Amino acid sequence: MSLNVDFESLVALYYQPLYQFAFSLTRVEADACDFTQQTFSIWAAKGHQLKDTSKVKTWLFTTLHREFLGARRRQTRFPHVELENAALDLPVVPPNTASRVDAAHALAALAQLDETFQAPVALFYLQDCSYNEIAEILGVPIGTVKSRLARGLARLHQLLADVPPSKS
Amino acid sequence: MNREEAKTVLLLYRPGLADDADPQIAAALALAKHDQELARWLAEHGARQNALRAAFRQIAAPAGLKEQIISEQAALQKMAARRRRLAFATLAAAVAGLILLAALTFPFRPADDTFTVFRSRMVKIALRGYAMDLATNNAVEIRSYLARNRAPADYVLPASLQPVKMIGCAVQRWQNAKVSMICFHTGKPLPPGQQGDLWLFVVDRASVKSAPETDLPRLAAVNRLVTATWVKDGKLYLLETEGTAPAIRPYL
Repeated sequence: MSLNVDFESLVALYYQPLYQFAFSLTRVEADACDFTQQTFSIWAAKGHQLKDTSKVKTWLFTTLHREFLGARRRQTRFPHVELENAALDLPVVPPNTASRVDAAHALAALAQLDETFQAPVALFYLQDCSYNEIAEILGVPIGTVKSRLARGLARLHQLLADVPPSKS
Repeated sequence: MNREEAKTVLLLYRPGLADDADPQIAAALALAKHDQELARWLAEHGARQNALRAAFRQIAAPAGLKEQIISEQAALQKMAARRRRLAFATLAAAVAGLILLAALTFPFRPADDTFTVFRSRMVKIALRGYAMDLATNNAVEIRSYLARNRAPADYVLPASLQPVKMIGCAVQRWQNAKVSMICFHTGKPLPPGQQGDLWLFVVDRASVKSAPETDLPRLAAVNRLVTATWVKDGKLYLLETEGTAPAIRPYL
């Protein structure tokens, strides 16, 4: 991905995944659109400062996440949970859970997670981001990413196990 | 690593991605190859992961979002360009205003190589103090010193000035020309520290713009001195002393 890519090409490439990430965080279409647009606006103003051409995707997601956090004005810090502690929360998930999950269910379950876990889980499923990329986007150590993912995924699977069968 | 630990590790495993490069996941996957129950759990987990990925990816951006982002950015750029132009125009106007203000505040300064400036500068030298290069009462030595230093030395003193006691000389500069400064003491009492009370400056007339052309002395008061200026044989003479016209007339 060259930094010389024009603005329209960059938007075409990333507006959908950025919107998905924003929507998974806000669950409000208008807010997700605003965050996506704001992210590209910041890119237009500051993107030229990025020297490493391989970091465009990470830069965009980091920026969107920061904008989201800034908007929420959250004051509390995320607790650091070690991966080993997450083992206690392993859910018992029925085998047929997968067939009953759609976007609405998945987002509803995501919304019930602690905010600490929402962003890493969204990046994990939506963008297939590596643990390193998630750590970079969220600005936390990779160990913290893994522990948050472990707890978040365990809770998500547990929530989805309780989802009633889809009518469709 | 036991089965439960492997499940904990594999909870983060996404089939088909690079997650199996993680050493812990690789170890758990290796264990699953020999543990049927773990293998079954892993297969179900993989299906759940894929279903969840697919479910999340059903989120679709609203139609027109891309176009809206692009068009709004274009509008922002246009606005920014307009602001830059406006800022530039404002800056240019401010600079022009400052130039105008400066022109009105600081009136035109005449060239500093004219006779008026020369006379003013020589008056300042006499008034503010000077160091004589040569202190002597010998007129020949003074002329000789000035000649050696390539300052005008072929000056002609008015008859009435010749009896006045010389006390020394100095070489001053005017633009690129040298000026002979000859100091006299008329005999009047002097304030402490002052050596002379009559000064004659001689310079090539050609080096002073707008200098008088007449050999008849022209008097002028400059500061608290009275000056007399005349030209003779291509030399400009400037005689200075403290007081008014009657103070200088006896030496012309």
